[in-house]
Amino acid sequence: MKGNYLGELEELILLTVGILYPEAYGVAVMDEVEKQAGRSLNISAVHSVLTRLEEKGFLKSKMSDPTEERGGRRKRIFLLTAAGKRALEEANEMRTQLFNQIPKVALQFRLA
Amino acid sequence: MKETPPKWADRFLRWYCHPALLEEIQGDAYELFYRESKENKQVAKLKFIWNVLRFFRWKNIRRVNKTNYDNQFSTGMLKNILIVSVRNFFRQPGHSLLNVFGLSAGFTCALLILLWVAHEYSFDRFHPETDKLFKVLTHVEANGSFQTYDVASCAMDVSSVPEIETLVSVSTGERWPHELCFRPEGKTNECIYMHGVYANEQLFSTFNFPILEGDQNPLKQTANIAISEKMAQALFGSVNPIGKIIKVDDRHEVLIASVFKNIPSHSSLQFDFALPYAILKKEWGINDEAFGQNFFNMYIKTNSVVTAEQLTEKLNDVRVLTEAYQAQKISYQAYPIADWHLKSKFEGGKNTGGRIEYIILFIIIGGLVVVMAVINFVNMSTARATLRAKEIGIRKVTGAVRGTIVAQFMGESFLMVFFSFIVSVVLAQLTLPLFNSLLTEPISLNLFSGTMPFYLTGFLFLVALLAGIYPSLVMSSFQPIRILKNQLSSGSSGSQSFRKSLLVVQLSVSIGIIIFSGVLYYQLNFITHKNLGFDRCNMIRIEPTFGLLKKFESFKHELSKDGSIMSVGISNSNPLNTGGGNTGVSWKGKSDNLRVSFKTIACSYEFPSTLGLKVKEGRDFQSQSMDTIRTEVLVSEDAVKTMGLVNPIGEEIKIGDTPCVIIGVVNDFHTESLHEARLPVILYRTSYEHLSAIYVKYRPGTTQQAMQTISHVYKVFEPSFTMKYWFQDDTFDELYKTEIIASRLILLFTVIALIIASIGIIGLATFNALRKTKEIGIRRVFGASAAQVLSLLLTEFSRVLIMSMIIASPIAWYAANYWLEGFAYHTAMPWWIFAATCVGVTALIGFIVWLQGIKTIATNPTKTLRSE
Repeated sequence: MKGNYLGELEELILLTVGILYPEAYGVAVMDEVEKQAGRSLNISAVHSVLTRLEEKGFLKSKMSDPTEERGGRRKRIFLLTAAGKRALEEANEMRTQLFNQIPKVALQFRLA
Repeated sequence: MKETPPKWADRFLRWYCHPALLEEIQGDAYELFYRESKENKQVAKLKFIWNVLRFFRWKNIRRVNKTNYDNQFSTGMLKNILIVSVRNFFRQPGHSLLNVFGLSAGFTCALLILLWVAHEYSFDRFHPETDKLFKVLTHVEANGSFQTYDVASCAMDVSSVPEIETLVSVSTGERWPHELCFRPEGKTNECIYMHGVYANEQLFSTFNFPILEGDQNPLKQTANIAISEKMAQALFGSVNPIGKIIKVDDRHEVLIASVFKNIPSHSSLQFDFALPYAILKKEWGINDEAFGQNFFNMYIKTNSVVTAEQLTEKLNDVRVLTEAYQAQKISYQAYPIADWHLKSKFEGGKNTGGRIEYIILFIIIGGLVVVMAVINFVNMSTARATLRAKEIGIRKVTGAVRGTIVAQFMGESFLMVFFSFIVSVVLAQLTLPLFNSLLTEPISLNLFSGTMPFYLTGFLFLVALLAGIYPSLVMSSFQPIRILKNQLSSGSSGSQSFRKSLLVVQLSVSIGIIIFSGVLYYQLNFITHKNLGFDRCNMIRIEPTFGLLKKFESFKHELSKDGSIMSVGISNSNPLNTGGGNTGVSWKGKSDNLRVSFKTIACSYEFPSTLGLKVKEGRDFQSQSMDTIRTEVLVSEDAVKTMGLVNPIGEEIKIGDTPCVIIGVVNDFHTESLHEARLPVILYRTSYEHLSAIYVKYRPGTTQQAMQTISHVYKVFEPSFTMKYWFQDDTFDELYKTEIIASRLILLFTVIALIIASIGIIGLATFNALRKTKEIGIRRVFGASAAQVLSLLLTEFSRVLIMSMIIASPIAWYAANYWLEGFAYHTAMPWWIFAATCVGVTALIGFIVWLQGIKTIATNPTKTLRSE
């Protein structure tokens, strides 16, 4: 299953890349994860996850136009691939499926 | 102005980061930095650094592309480099030889020092399990100050200490009964003096003194002797000595039970024969109880690893150190056997160094000399760089990268260092005998034994690396276009100042060493000319036999008949070196717990006058009858002061239990080396048989006649003995043996340091004159005098020289002062040596510059200026 397996942080970042379309690059992803999930990541961690996801084929990237705020450097913009989309769907599906199998009783919390 | 992130961090990022990833990574880092710096610049910078460090991951790191450098060092290239090095060497043979000579002089120095240090460190380490061997030292407290002896009670009982496996006791000494006359087989009138020890039977089983033939445990029997190979050879030639009977001291017959291997020179214990204690008791004529009062060398071997501190504690237990000794304020210390040779100086019961100080001094000097030699090499190589600039330019143009040039010059440095090293190994081997004679004791090692080659190789690589790194970096940094367009100034200003600072280091070291050795010589001169308070010139000391002592009166009478003999006296110890003090002196009004050391010298009535002591008060001994002699004493002025006597004549004092009366006061005199403070002296008379050294004073300039008379008379009195005698002057030199050896060595190294420094200055002066050829030519054309041009060349060195003097003087002062403090009597710091050294070095440099410059100055300017 190696290669298709999606880690928790990978899933989070993959989702974020999707949300940010078409402006998903390192710093933006980092900010969005912090805003949405409240998790403060180091930029280097974000980079390594993004590279890994690209190696797995869930993401593809291209270089943007240079921007002033980066000292005239270009950004690497990440985009979801079809495989990435499927991986997200699968993960989501599996989660729902598993959640639905939990007996109703187990979820009933009342004052005993 | 826009904020920028810390430069070094950015550079680091650019350096390590994979080029393909650099843009995005740097971009993100910058973006974050700009955002953060709007709020807090410092935090932004810190965060930037943090991010750069976090990005330092395996995936992001630049990979070296190896294929790029594949053809850099082909065999052809290496061959070319080698050929060019050799050609360069021969193109300026004078310069190259100077360079090699400087380096090998430094190396030779270092090698000799290395050998000597290794020899000193090997002392007493050849015994099995050296870490379990200890020597017992004795500290005696007298009025707050400690005296330390390397002996302990021979009756010591260590059965209460389970850790102690064996206790070896060895009685050593310089004279009778440790030095005895043995007669070769069949020649009863010949006498060979041999030096030996008395020991208990554990001597041979504990220490690594292998027995070659005969009984492995010779000292078990009470009438056995073990002799060395050397002694066997001397007494019996090639005949097997085992089982033969010989006489010890012409009195006691003993059986030669074993022959042991000659004791190696790096052993503290040196002996040619070993006898059991039974013989010593007979020699001394004392019973077991009196014998037990003696203090001998005591060695301990433990059965497990015990620290010296733990053992010391156990030795000071009342079961080992008896109450009687404790009452005398005696304490023991267990001391690792291998440390004794190097760390044997004690003050206040604590170790304060010993030979180790000299070893450290020489390691420092050796290191400095090598550093100087390397600096020379670096200076001369970089100075020559300009002359080779074209070569480097061509190499670079034809495709050499920086690495190739570095490799070339490193290679050259290795070649030179290696060549110099071979020269120095040969030199060291050749000078070793000379060096040994300076040291007066042979070094047992050579350069190719044990782990030595291993260290040498390491040393070689280190030096080659140090010597090559700077020149190769400087030369490889030349830009080909500037070289080939002849725009290269002669050495960039950076390398110029670097060279100058190297020269400062070098000159400082030379000046420092010269000043230090100057002070050292001055102090030694001070010692040898200091008035000790008694005569030591024109005096011969004779070791009498027992028979001669009995006939001393007539012996003296016979000697006195000759006009060259002035007087003859006799005493129990040599006033140059009297040995241990006596704390058993008491006088009226002495407080009970006061313990003061006196030197008590037993002598005949002629002794004080023979020695040239002056009687300040009262009278000298008189030649009265013998029954009253022990009661009269002469004291030194120090002693009067110590005892606080107002009217010393007629005062009664006690030495031990013997009551004495003071009849006179003599002038103060030294009784030890000048390292020690002068102690109060008491001279008392005793009968001749109890004394041990005859002193003969002869007229100045009649040495030969006096010697003839003395040996003639001796032959008449003791026909079957060879006379043993010493000149007091020689004994005096012996007292400062370490200092004298050290001063000789330091003189040697000073000369070498000076030579190396001169080579460096010659090299640089030549180079400077060469570099300024055109400038000098132009100045000459415009009418500058030779002196003016010379002063121009000199100014190059003047600042360097002044800097070196400023640096070297205080360091030399500190070191010299520290060394002088080691003497109880020393000269004031001789400042003129500092001045003389500075003037001398200035003159030397001036001379060298003049010598090198005069050639250029004398050249007709038309010749130098024509080429452009």
